[in-house]
Amino acid sequence: MKTQLTKVILFICGWISFVSCKNSTQQLSKIVGKNIAIDSAMVANTAIDSMIAPYKTQLDREMQQILTYTPVTLQKKTDQQQSNLGNLMADLTYQMAQPIFQNKTKQTIDFALFNSGGIRALISKGNVTKEHAFKLMPFENQLVVVQLSGKKTEELIHYFIQGKKAHPLSKQIKLTIHNDQSYELSIRGQKFDPNKNYLVLTSDYLQHGGDGMDFFKNPIALTKIDLKVRDAIIQYFKKTDTLKARIDHRITLD
Amino acid sequence: MERRKFIKQVGGASTLALAGGLTLPAFTTQKQRHLTILHTNDTHSHIEPFKPTHYRNASKGGVAKRATLVQQIRKENPNTLLLDAGDIFQGTPYFNYFGGALEFQLMSKLQYDVATLGNHDFDNGIEGFYKQLPHAQFDFVSANYDFKNTVLDSHVKPYKIIHKNGIKVGIFGLGIQLEGLVDHRLYKETTYLDPIEITKDITQELKTKHHCDLIICLSHLGYHYKNNPNKISDLMLAKATQNIDLIIGGHTHTFLKKPTIVKNAAGKNTLINQVGAYGINLGRIDFYFDEVDELTTESATILV
Repeated sequence: MKTQLTKVILFICGWISFVSCKNSTQQLSKIVGKNIAIDSAMVANTAIDSMIAPYKTQLDREMQQILTYTPVTLQKKTDQQQSNLGNLMADLTYQMAQPIFQNKTKQTIDFALFNSGGIRALISKGNVTKEHAFKLMPFENQLVVVQLSGKKTEELIHYFIQGKKAHPLSKQIKLTIHNDQSYELSIRGQKFDPNKNYLVLTSDYLQHGGDGMDFFKNPIALTKIDLKVRDAIIQYFKKTDTLKARIDHRITLD
Repeated sequence: MERRKFIKQVGGASTLALAGGLTLPAFTTQKQRHLTILHTNDTHSHIEPFKPTHYRNASKGGVAKRATLVQQIRKENPNTLLLDAGDIFQGTPYFNYFGGALEFQLMSKLQYDVATLGNHDFDNGIEGFYKQLPHAQFDFVSANYDFKNTVLDSHVKPYKIIHKNGIKVGIFGLGIQLEGLVDHRLYKETTYLDPIEITKDITQELKTKHHCDLIICLSHLGYHYKNNPNKISDLMLAKATQNIDLIIGGHTHTFLKKPTIVKNAAGKNTLINQVGAYGINLGRIDFYFDEVDELTTESATILV
Protein backbone atom coordinates (compact mmCIF):
# COMPACT_ATOMS: atom_id res chain seq x y z
CA MET A 1 0.00 0.00 0.00
CA LYS A 2 2.78 2.37 0.99
CA THR A 3 4.70 1.49 -2.20
CA GLN A 4 1.65 2.26 -4.27
CA LEU A 5 1.17 5.59 -2.54
CA THR A 6 4.85 6.43 -3.20
CA LYS A 7 4.35 5.56 -6.86
CA VAL A 8 1.35 7.85 -7.03
CA ILE A 9 3.30 10.63 -5.33
CA LEU A 10 6.26 10.17 -7.64
CA PHE A 11 3.92 10.23 -10.61
CA ILE A 12 2.34 13.45 -9.40
CA CYS A 13 5.73 14.99 -8.68
CA GLY A 14 6.98 13.96 -12.11
CA TRP A 15 3.89 15.34 -13.76
CA ILE A 16 4.20 18.64 -11.92
CA SER A 17 7.86 18.96 -12.76
CA PHE A 18 7.09 18.17 -16.40
CA VAL A 19 4.38 20.80 -16.54
CA SER A 20 6.39 23.42 -14.70
CA CYS A 21 9.43 22.83 -16.90
CA LYS A 22 7.35 23.24 -19.98
CA ASN A 23 5.85 26.49 -18.75
CA SER A 24 8.83 27.91 -16.93
CA THR A 25 10.63 30.88 -18.36
CA GLN A 26 13.62 33.00 -17.43
CA GLN A 27 12.99 36.14 -15.42
CA LEU A 28 15.89 38.57 -15.35
CA SER A 29 16.31 39.35 -11.65
CA LYS A 30 19.70 40.97 -11.23
CA ILE A 31 22.33 42.69 -13.38
CA VAL A 32 25.83 43.57 -12.25
CA GLY A 33 27.99 45.70 -14.54
CA LYS A 34 31.54 46.99 -14.35
CA ASN A 35 34.50 47.86 -16.51
CA ILE A 36 37.81 46.21 -15.78
CA ALA A 37 41.13 47.89 -16.57
CA ILE A 38 43.75 45.81 -18.33
CA ASP A 39 46.97 47.15 -16.84
CA SER A 40 50.57 46.24 -16.09
CA ALA A 41 49.53 44.11 -13.11
CA MET A 42 47.94 41.56 -15.43
CA VAL A 43 50.02 38.65 -16.66
CA ALA A 44 50.15 37.97 -20.40
CA ASN A 45 48.92 34.65 -21.75
CA THR A 46 51.98 32.91 -23.21
CA ALA A 47 50.09 31.06 -25.94
CA ILE A 48 48.81 34.39 -27.25
CA ASP A 49 52.23 36.00 -26.97
CA SER A 50 53.78 33.23 -29.06
CA MET A 51 51.08 33.70 -31.71
CA ILE A 52 52.02 37.39 -31.91
CA ALA A 53 55.80 36.88 -31.75
CA PRO A 54 56.63 36.20 -35.43
CA TYR A 55 54.53 39.18 -36.58
CA LYS A 56 56.05 41.40 -33.89
CA THR A 57 59.64 40.54 -34.81
CA GLN A 58 59.02 41.48 -38.42
CA LEU A 59 57.29 44.74 -37.52
CA ASP A 60 59.73 45.83 -34.82
CA ARG A 61 62.61 45.68 -37.25
CA GLU A 62 60.69 48.02 -39.56
CA MET A 63 59.14 50.37 -37.06
CA GLN A 64 61.99 51.13 -34.68
CA GLN A 65 64.03 52.91 -37.36
CA ILE A 66 64.72 56.45 -36.13
CA LEU A 67 63.90 58.94 -38.86
CA THR A 68 64.26 62.36 -37.20
CA TYR A 69 64.05 64.27 -33.93
CA THR A 70 61.59 66.72 -32.41
CA PRO A 71 62.57 69.07 -29.55
CA VAL A 72 58.91 69.65 -28.63
CA THR A 73 55.87 67.38 -28.40
CA LEU A 74 53.87 67.63 -31.60
CA GLN A 75 50.18 67.47 -30.89
CA LYS A 76 46.65 68.53 -31.80
CA LYS A 77 46.42 71.08 -28.98
CA THR A 78 44.70 74.08 -30.56
CA ASP A 79 45.66 77.74 -30.47
CA GLN A 80 44.41 80.32 -33.00
CA GLN A 81 42.60 77.44 -34.75
CA GLN A 82 45.98 75.83 -35.45
CA SER A 83 48.03 73.01 -33.95
CA ASN A 84 51.78 72.56 -34.28
CA LEU A 85 51.30 69.04 -35.64
CA GLY A 86 48.65 70.19 -38.12
CA ASN A 87 50.89 72.99 -39.39
CA LEU A 88 53.76 70.52 -39.81
CA MET A 89 51.58 68.06 -41.73
CA ALA A 90 50.18 70.66 -44.10
CA ASP A 91 53.59 72.24 -44.74
CA LEU A 92 55.55 69.04 -45.21
CA THR A 93 53.04 67.48 -47.61
CA TYR A 94 53.08 70.74 -49.60
CA GLN A 95 56.86 70.65 -49.69
CA MET A 96 56.95 67.01 -50.82
CA ALA A 97 54.13 67.28 -53.37
CA GLN A 98 55.03 70.62 -55.02
CA PRO A 99 58.09 69.37 -57.03
CA ILE A 100 56.07 66.37 -58.30
CA PHE A 101 53.14 68.60 -59.25
CA GLN A 102 55.47 71.15 -60.88
CA ASN A 103 56.97 68.37 -62.97
CA LYS A 104 53.57 67.11 -64.07
CA THR A 105 51.77 70.38 -64.77
CA LYS A 106 54.32 73.26 -64.67
CA GLN A 107 52.05 74.88 -62.08
CA THR A 108 52.36 75.81 -58.41
CA ILE A 109 50.06 74.48 -55.70
CA ASP A 110 48.36 77.38 -53.90
CA PHE A 111 47.92 75.75 -50.49
CA ALA A 112 47.15 72.50 -48.67
CA LEU A 113 44.13 71.56 -46.54
CA PHE A 114 43.61 68.36 -44.54
CA ASN A 115 41.22 67.47 -41.71
CA SER A 116 41.97 67.65 -38.04
CA GLY A 117 40.36 64.23 -37.54
CA GLY A 118 42.98 62.76 -39.87
CA ILE A 119 45.74 63.40 -37.34
CA ARG A 120 45.58 60.11 -35.49
CA ALA A 121 48.34 60.38 -32.88
CA LEU A 122 50.74 62.82 -31.33
CA ILE A 123 54.54 62.60 -31.39
CA SER A 124 56.23 62.98 -28.00
CA LYS A 125 59.44 65.04 -27.95
CA GLY A 126 62.55 63.02 -28.70
CA ASN A 127 63.44 60.60 -31.45
CA VAL A 128 60.84 60.12 -34.14
CA THR A 129 60.52 56.60 -35.54
CA LYS A 130 58.76 55.09 -38.51
CA GLU A 131 56.17 53.86 -36.04
CA HIS A 132 55.27 57.47 -35.22
CA ALA A 133 54.61 58.11 -38.89
CA PHE A 134 52.33 55.08 -39.06
CA LYS A 135 50.40 56.10 -35.96
CA LEU A 136 50.09 59.66 -37.17
CA MET A 137 48.79 58.56 -40.56
CA PRO A 138 47.62 54.95 -40.48
CA PHE A 139 45.43 55.31 -43.57
CA GLU A 140 46.48 54.56 -47.11
CA ASN A 141 45.26 57.97 -48.34
CA GLN A 142 46.86 59.40 -51.50
CA LEU A 143 47.82 63.02 -52.16
CA VAL A 144 45.82 64.81 -54.86
CA VAL A 145 45.70 68.38 -56.17
CA VAL A 146 42.23 69.77 -56.75
CA GLN A 147 41.55 72.80 -58.94
CA LEU A 148 38.74 74.81 -57.34
CA SER A 149 36.82 77.82 -58.59
CA GLY A 150 36.97 80.99 -56.49
CA LYS A 151 33.42 80.23 -55.32
CA LYS A 152 34.37 76.72 -54.12
CA THR A 153 37.45 78.17 -52.44
CA GLU A 154 35.16 80.54 -50.56
CA GLU A 155 33.06 77.53 -49.49
CA LEU A 156 36.27 75.91 -48.25
CA ILE A 157 37.10 78.95 -46.12
CA HIS A 158 33.53 79.09 -44.75
CA TYR A 159 33.79 75.40 -43.86
CA PHE A 160 37.01 76.14 -41.97
CA ILE A 161 35.62 79.16 -40.12
CA GLN A 162 32.27 77.59 -39.20
CA GLY A 163 33.82 74.26 -38.20
CA LYS A 164 35.97 76.03 -35.59
CA LYS A 165 38.40 73.11 -35.82
CA ALA A 166 42.14 73.30 -36.38
CA HIS A 167 42.05 71.63 -39.77
CA PRO A 168 45.64 71.68 -41.05
CA LEU A 169 46.18 74.57 -43.51
CA SER A 170 49.60 75.22 -45.07
CA LYS A 171 51.54 78.44 -44.52
CA GLN A 172 50.64 79.87 -47.97
CA ILE A 173 47.35 80.90 -46.29
CA LYS A 174 46.98 84.12 -44.31
CA LEU A 175 43.53 84.19 -42.79
CA THR A 176 42.23 86.68 -40.24
CA ILE A 177 38.85 85.74 -38.78
CA HIS A 178 36.84 88.45 -37.06
CA ASN A 179 34.31 87.98 -34.28
CA ASP A 180 31.36 88.35 -36.68
CA GLN A 181 32.86 85.57 -38.88
CA SER A 182 33.90 88.06 -41.59
CA TYR A 183 37.47 87.49 -42.72
CA GLU A 184 40.47 88.67 -44.69
CA LEU A 185 42.28 86.17 -46.82
CA SER A 186 45.44 86.14 -48.88
CA ILE A 187 46.94 83.14 -50.63
CA ARG A 188 50.64 82.98 -51.63
CA GLY A 189 50.96 86.68 -50.78
CA GLN A 190 48.06 87.76 -53.04
CA LYS A 191 44.67 88.96 -51.83
CA PHE A 192 42.03 86.29 -52.44
CA ASP A 193 40.28 86.78 -55.82
CA PRO A 194 36.84 85.10 -56.13
CA ASN A 195 37.17 85.13 -59.95
CA LYS A 196 40.36 83.09 -59.91
CA ASN A 197 40.82 79.30 -59.66
CA TYR A 198 42.97 77.81 -56.91
CA LEU A 199 45.07 74.62 -56.73
CA VAL A 200 44.60 72.87 -53.39
CA LEU A 201 46.59 69.90 -52.12
CA THR A 202 44.57 67.38 -50.09
CA SER A 203 43.99 63.63 -49.74
CA ASP A 204 41.83 61.47 -51.99
CA TYR A 205 39.69 60.70 -48.92
CA LEU A 206 38.78 64.36 -48.43
CA GLN A 207 38.47 64.96 -52.16
CA HIS A 208 35.68 62.35 -52.15
CA GLY A 209 33.77 64.46 -49.64
CA GLY A 210 35.22 62.94 -46.46
CA ASP A 211 34.51 64.92 -43.26
CA GLY A 212 31.83 66.83 -45.15
CA MET A 213 34.32 68.63 -47.42
CA ASP A 214 31.85 68.65 -50.29
CA PHE A 215 33.57 71.62 -52.01
CA PHE A 216 36.27 69.16 -53.17
CA LYS A 217 33.77 67.04 -55.09
CA ASN A 218 33.54 67.52 -58.89
CA PRO A 219 36.57 69.83 -59.21
CA ILE A 220 37.55 71.68 -62.39
CA ALA A 221 40.65 69.48 -62.58
CA LEU A 222 42.14 66.71 -60.46
CA THR A 223 45.81 65.68 -60.45
CA LYS A 224 47.08 62.59 -58.66
CA ILE A 225 50.48 63.06 -57.04
CA ASP A 226 50.97 59.26 -56.78
CA LEU A 227 52.31 59.60 -53.26
CA LYS A 228 50.61 58.38 -50.09
CA VAL A 229 50.24 60.95 -47.31
CA ARG A 230 52.15 58.63 -44.99
CA ASP A 231 54.99 58.12 -47.48
CA ALA A 232 55.30 61.90 -47.86
CA ILE A 233 55.63 62.12 -44.07
CA ILE A 234 58.25 59.33 -43.93
CA GLN A 235 60.29 60.84 -46.79
CA TYR A 236 60.24 64.27 -45.18
CA PHE A 237 61.20 62.87 -41.76
CA LYS A 238 64.12 60.99 -43.33
CA LYS A 239 65.59 64.07 -44.95
CA THR A 240 65.02 66.37 -41.93
CA ASP A 241 67.48 66.33 -39.03
CA THR A 242 65.27 68.19 -36.52
CA LEU A 243 61.58 68.96 -36.97
CA LYS A 244 60.50 72.57 -36.60
CA ALA A 245 56.80 73.13 -36.06
CA ARG A 246 54.91 75.84 -34.25
CA ILE A 247 51.78 77.93 -34.14
CA ASP A 248 52.29 81.02 -36.36
CA HIS A 249 50.24 83.77 -38.01
CA ARG A 250 48.66 81.79 -40.87
CA ILE A 251 45.39 81.98 -38.91
CA THR A 252 44.57 84.89 -36.64
CA LEU A 253 41.41 85.02 -34.56
CA ASP A 254 40.58 88.64 -34.12
CA MET B 1 5.38 36.44 -5.27
CA GLU B 2 6.34 33.74 -7.76
CA ARG B 3 6.90 31.34 -4.95
CA ARG B 4 3.45 32.04 -3.50
CA LYS B 5 1.83 31.21 -6.78
CA PHE B 6 3.89 28.04 -7.03
CA ILE B 7 2.76 26.83 -3.60
CA LYS B 8 -0.88 27.52 -4.39
CA GLN B 9 -0.73 25.51 -7.60
CA VAL B 10 0.90 22.42 -6.15
CA GLY B 11 -0.52 22.70 -2.65
CA GLY B 12 -2.46 19.44 -2.84
CA ALA B 13 0.48 17.42 -3.98
CA SER B 14 2.89 18.74 -1.39
CA THR B 15 0.46 17.90 1.39
CA LEU B 16 0.27 14.38 0.05
CA ALA B 17 4.00 14.11 -0.20
CA LEU B 18 4.51 15.29 3.35
CA ALA B 19 1.97 12.75 4.55
CA GLY B 20 4.02 10.08 2.84
CA GLY B 21 7.18 11.25 4.61
CA LEU B 22 8.78 12.53 1.42
CA THR B 23 10.31 15.93 0.71
CA LEU B 24 10.05 17.69 -2.57
CA PRO B 25 13.43 18.12 -4.17
CA ALA B 26 14.12 20.98 -6.58
CA PHE B 27 10.65 22.47 -6.30
CA THR B 28 11.34 24.35 -3.11
CA THR B 29 14.45 26.19 -4.38
CA GLN B 30 14.27 28.47 -7.41
CA LYS B 31 16.95 27.71 -9.91
CA GLN B 32 19.09 30.74 -10.73
CA ARG B 33 21.03 30.95 -13.97
CA HIS B 34 24.04 33.16 -14.46
CA LEU B 35 25.27 34.54 -17.77
CA THR B 36 28.36 36.73 -18.12
CA ILE B 37 28.82 39.10 -21.06
CA LEU B 38 32.34 40.37 -21.72
CA HIS B 39 32.98 42.98 -24.35
CA THR B 40 35.42 45.23 -26.17
CA ASN B 41 35.08 47.96 -28.81
CA ASP B 42 37.41 50.01 -31.01
CA THR B 43 40.42 47.81 -30.30
CA HIS B 44 41.94 49.32 -33.48
CA SER B 45 44.65 46.73 -34.11
CA HIS B 46 46.15 47.34 -30.66
CA ILE B 47 47.63 43.90 -30.32
CA GLU B 48 50.50 44.78 -28.00
CA PRO B 49 50.11 46.76 -24.77
CA PHE B 50 50.98 50.46 -24.94
CA LYS B 51 54.64 51.20 -24.36
CA PRO B 52 55.67 51.99 -20.74
CA THR B 53 56.64 55.47 -21.97
CA HIS B 54 53.24 56.31 -23.47
CA TYR B 55 52.01 59.70 -22.24
CA ARG B 56 48.51 58.54 -21.38
CA ASN B 57 48.08 54.78 -21.61
CA ALA B 58 51.45 53.49 -20.37
CA SER B 59 51.55 49.65 -20.27
CA LYS B 60 47.77 49.41 -20.68
CA GLY B 61 45.91 46.96 -22.89
CA GLY B 62 47.34 44.11 -24.94
CA VAL B 63 45.56 41.06 -26.33
CA ALA B 64 47.67 38.54 -24.35
CA LYS B 65 46.66 40.20 -21.06
CA ARG B 66 43.06 40.41 -22.16
CA ALA B 67 43.25 36.66 -22.82
CA THR B 68 44.34 36.02 -19.20
CA LEU B 69 41.45 38.07 -17.85
CA VAL B 70 38.89 36.40 -20.12
CA GLN B 71 40.23 32.97 -19.14
CA GLN B 72 39.91 33.81 -15.42
CA ILE B 73 36.33 34.95 -15.83
CA ARG B 74 35.45 31.90 -17.93
CA LYS B 75 36.81 29.66 -15.18
CA GLU B 76 34.60 31.50 -12.70
CA ASN B 77 31.54 31.22 -14.97
CA PRO B 78 31.73 28.94 -18.02
CA ASN B 79 28.52 30.55 -19.29
CA THR B 80 30.29 33.55 -20.70
CA LEU B 81 29.97 35.30 -24.05
CA LEU B 82 32.68 37.53 -25.52
CA LEU B 83 31.52 40.28 -27.90
CA ASP B 84 32.98 43.22 -29.84
CA ALA B 85 31.30 46.39 -31.14
CA GLY B 86 33.53 47.11 -34.15
CA ASP B 87 36.59 49.00 -35.37
CA ILE B 88 38.76 45.96 -34.93
CA PHE B 89 40.96 47.20 -37.78
CA GLN B 90 43.27 50.20 -38.18
CA GLY B 91 45.50 52.02 -35.73
CA THR B 92 48.81 50.16 -35.64
CA PRO B 93 51.16 48.89 -38.36
CA TYR B 94 49.89 45.36 -37.67
CA PHE B 95 46.93 46.35 -39.80
CA ASN B 96 48.96 48.15 -42.49
CA TYR B 97 51.33 45.21 -42.91
CA PHE B 98 49.09 42.17 -42.33
CA GLY B 99 45.64 43.47 -43.28
CA GLY B 100 43.80 42.39 -40.12
CA ALA B 101 44.63 38.66 -40.30
CA LEU B 102 46.31 38.62 -36.88
CA GLU B 103 43.46 40.60 -35.29
CA PHE B 104 40.90 37.99 -36.40
CA GLN B 105 43.17 35.04 -35.50
CA LEU B 106 43.67 36.36 -31.99
CA MET B 107 39.97 37.06 -31.49
CA SER B 108 39.24 33.50 -32.59
CA LYS B 109 41.81 32.17 -30.12
CA LEU B 110 40.16 34.22 -27.34
CA GLN B 111 36.87 32.61 -28.45
CA TYR B 112 34.97 35.72 -29.33
CA ASP B 113 31.36 34.80 -30.10
CA VAL B 114 29.97 37.75 -32.09
CA ALA B 115 31.17 41.12 -33.41
CA THR B 116 29.77 43.93 -35.53
CA LEU B 117 31.49 46.11 -38.13
CA GLY B 118 32.79 49.60 -37.46
CA ASN B 119 33.56 52.18 -40.13
CA HIS B 120 37.30 51.37 -39.99
CA ASP B 121 36.62 47.74 -40.73
CA PHE B 122 36.05 48.97 -44.31
CA ASP B 123 39.50 50.62 -44.49
CA ASN B 124 40.91 48.03 -46.88
CA GLY B 125 37.64 48.04 -48.77
CA ILE B 126 34.81 45.60 -48.38
CA GLU B 127 37.01 43.07 -50.22
CA GLY B 128 39.80 43.62 -47.68
CA PHE B 129 37.38 42.67 -44.90
CA TYR B 130 36.03 39.71 -46.85
CA LYS B 131 39.57 38.44 -47.46
CA GLN B 132 40.23 38.18 -43.71
CA LEU B 133 36.94 36.40 -42.87
CA PRO B 134 38.48 32.90 -43.08
CA HIS B 135 40.61 33.90 -40.06
CA ALA B 136 37.51 34.72 -37.99
CA GLN B 137 36.00 31.76 -36.17
CA PHE B 138 33.23 33.95 -34.82
CA ASP B 139 30.21 35.63 -36.38
CA PHE B 140 29.62 39.16 -37.62
CA VAL B 141 26.17 40.68 -37.26
CA SER B 142 24.74 43.87 -38.74
CA ALA B 143 21.05 44.61 -39.07
CA ASN B 144 21.20 48.03 -40.72
CA TYR B 145 23.90 47.47 -43.34
CA ASP B 146 22.39 45.81 -46.38
CA PHE B 147 25.23 43.89 -48.04
CA LYS B 148 22.97 42.35 -50.71
CA ASN B 149 24.99 43.73 -53.65
CA THR B 150 28.42 43.19 -52.12
CA VAL B 151 30.83 40.30 -51.51
CA LEU B 152 29.66 40.20 -47.86
CA ASP B 153 26.16 39.12 -48.89
CA SER B 154 25.14 36.15 -46.67
CA HIS B 155 28.43 36.40 -44.69
CA VAL B 156 27.04 38.97 -42.27
CA LYS B 157 23.65 38.16 -40.69
CA PRO B 158 21.35 40.73 -39.01
CA TYR B 159 21.42 38.82 -35.72
CA LYS B 160 22.56 35.66 -34.03
CA ILE B 161 20.78 33.66 -31.35
CA ILE B 162 22.93 31.84 -28.82
CA HIS B 163 21.67 29.30 -26.27
CA LYS B 164 23.76 29.43 -23.14
CA ASN B 165 22.90 27.66 -19.88
CA GLY B 166 19.22 27.57 -20.84
CA ILE B 167 19.20 31.28 -21.62
CA LYS B 168 18.31 32.34 -25.13
CA VAL B 169 20.36 35.39 -26.12
CA GLY B 170 19.57 37.41 -29.26
CA ILE B 171 22.45 39.56 -30.49
CA PHE B 172 22.05 42.04 -33.34
CA GLY B 173 24.39 44.64 -34.83
CA LEU B 174 24.06 48.30 -35.84
CA GLY B 175 26.54 50.32 -37.88
CA ILE B 176 27.13 54.02 -38.40
CA GLN B 177 26.21 55.94 -41.57
CA LEU B 178 29.13 55.42 -43.93
CA GLU B 179 28.54 58.26 -46.37
CA GLY B 180 30.93 61.13 -45.66
CA LEU B 181 32.84 58.97 -43.16
CA VAL B 182 34.19 56.22 -45.39
CA ASP B 183 35.19 56.58 -49.03
CA HIS B 184 32.43 55.21 -51.24
CA ARG B 185 35.03 53.24 -53.21
CA LEU B 186 35.67 51.25 -50.02
CA TYR B 187 32.15 50.39 -48.85
CA LYS B 188 30.76 50.15 -52.41
CA GLU B 189 27.10 49.10 -52.58
CA THR B 190 26.61 48.67 -48.83
CA THR B 191 23.29 50.33 -48.00
CA TYR B 192 22.71 52.04 -44.67
CA LEU B 193 19.26 51.60 -43.14
CA ASP B 194 17.66 53.61 -40.34
CA PRO B 195 18.86 52.12 -37.03
CA ILE B 196 15.71 52.92 -35.03
CA GLU B 197 13.29 51.40 -37.54
CA ILE B 198 15.46 48.30 -37.95
CA THR B 199 15.81 47.93 -34.18
CA LYS B 200 12.04 48.02 -33.69
CA ASP B 201 11.58 45.24 -36.24
CA ILE B 202 14.49 43.05 -35.16
CA THR B 203 13.84 43.23 -31.42
CA GLN B 204 10.17 42.43 -32.01
CA GLU B 205 11.23 39.37 -33.98
CA LEU B 206 13.76 38.30 -31.34
CA LYS B 207 11.22 38.77 -28.56
CA THR B 208 7.99 37.39 -29.94
CA LYS B 209 9.07 34.96 -32.65
CA HIS B 210 12.24 33.59 -31.07
CA HIS B 211 11.34 34.17 -27.39
CA CYS B 212 14.79 35.46 -26.48
CA ASP B 213 15.38 35.89 -22.75
CA LEU B 214 17.97 38.59 -23.35
CA ILE B 215 18.49 41.01 -26.25
CA ILE B 216 21.87 42.60 -26.85
CA CYS B 217 22.69 45.25 -29.44
CA LEU B 218 26.27 45.57 -30.70
CA SER B 219 26.31 49.18 -31.84
CA HIS B 220 28.92 51.21 -33.65
CA LEU B 221 26.63 54.28 -33.70
CA GLY B 222 28.49 56.17 -30.97
CA TYR B 223 27.49 56.86 -27.35
CA HIS B 224 26.29 60.47 -27.68
CA TYR B 225 27.09 63.55 -29.81
CA LYS B 226 27.22 66.59 -27.58
CA ASN B 227 27.67 69.03 -30.49
CA ASN B 228 25.16 67.25 -32.67
CA PRO B 229 22.43 65.96 -30.34
CA ASN B 230 20.14 65.04 -33.24
CA LYS B 231 22.61 62.54 -34.61
CA ILE B 232 21.57 58.98 -33.86
CA SER B 233 23.49 57.60 -30.90
CA ASP B 234 23.22 54.81 -28.34
CA LEU B 235 21.52 57.10 -25.81
CA MET B 236 18.97 58.10 -28.43
CA LEU B 237 18.46 54.52 -29.62
CA ALA B 238 17.85 53.28 -26.07
CA LYS B 239 15.22 55.95 -25.42
CA ALA B 240 13.45 55.53 -28.76
CA THR B 241 13.04 51.75 -28.67
CA GLN B 242 12.09 48.94 -26.29
CA ASN B 243 13.12 45.33 -25.74
CA ILE B 244 16.90 45.93 -25.73
CA ASP B 245 18.45 44.81 -22.46
CA LEU B 246 22.02 45.86 -23.22
CA ILE B 247 23.66 48.09 -25.83
CA ILE B 248 27.36 47.49 -26.22
CA GLY B 249 28.61 50.61 -27.94
CA GLY B 250 31.62 51.89 -29.84
CA HIS B 251 32.89 54.52 -32.30
CA THR B 252 33.06 57.54 -29.95
CA HIS B 253 35.86 55.95 -27.85
CA THR B 254 33.84 56.80 -24.74
CA PHE B 255 35.48 55.58 -21.54
CA LEU B 256 32.44 54.97 -19.34
CA LYS B 257 33.36 54.44 -15.70
CA LYS B 258 30.32 52.20 -15.40
CA PRO B 259 27.37 51.25 -17.60
CA THR B 260 24.65 53.88 -18.12
CA ILE B 261 21.05 53.03 -17.22
CA VAL B 262 18.46 54.57 -19.55
CA LYS B 263 14.66 54.33 -19.46
CA ASN B 264 13.51 53.01 -22.82
CA ALA B 265 10.28 53.84 -24.69
CA ALA B 266 8.38 51.32 -22.56
CA GLY B 267 9.73 52.80 -19.33
CA LYS B 268 12.00 49.82 -18.74
CA ASN B 269 15.70 49.91 -18.03
CA THR B 270 18.20 49.52 -20.85
CA LEU B 271 21.89 49.32 -20.09
CA ILE B 272 24.51 51.00 -22.29
CA ASN B 273 28.16 50.26 -21.91
CA GLN B 274 31.29 51.25 -23.84
CA VAL B 275 34.89 50.65 -22.82
CA GLY B 276 36.73 53.43 -24.63
CA ALA B 277 39.21 52.03 -27.10
CA TYR B 278 42.43 50.11 -27.81
CA GLY B 279 41.65 47.15 -25.54
CA ILE B 280 42.52 49.17 -22.45
CA ASN B 281 39.41 47.91 -20.64
CA LEU B 282 37.13 44.92 -20.72
CA GLY B 283 33.43 45.39 -20.07
CA ARG B 284 31.72 42.84 -17.86
CA ILE B 285 27.97 42.53 -17.34
CA ASP B 286 26.58 39.66 -15.28
CA PHE B 287 22.96 38.68 -15.79
CA TYR B 288 21.11 36.54 -13.23
CA PHE B 289 17.88 34.83 -14.21
CA ASP B 290 15.29 33.14 -12.02
CA GLU B 291 13.21 30.34 -13.41
CA VAL B 292 9.55 31.32 -13.19
CA ASP B 293 6.28 30.03 -14.58
CA GLU B 294 5.25 33.37 -15.90
CA LEU B 295 7.15 36.60 -16.47
CA THR B 296 6.25 39.47 -14.18
CA THR B 297 6.65 43.16 -14.89
CA GLU B 298 9.04 43.44 -11.97
CA SER B 299 12.29 44.96 -13.13
CA ALA B 300 15.66 43.50 -12.33
CA THR B 301 17.94 44.92 -9.68
CA ILE B 302 20.85 46.69 -11.35
CA LEU B 303 24.17 47.10 -9.59
CA VAL B 304 26.70 49.24 -11.43
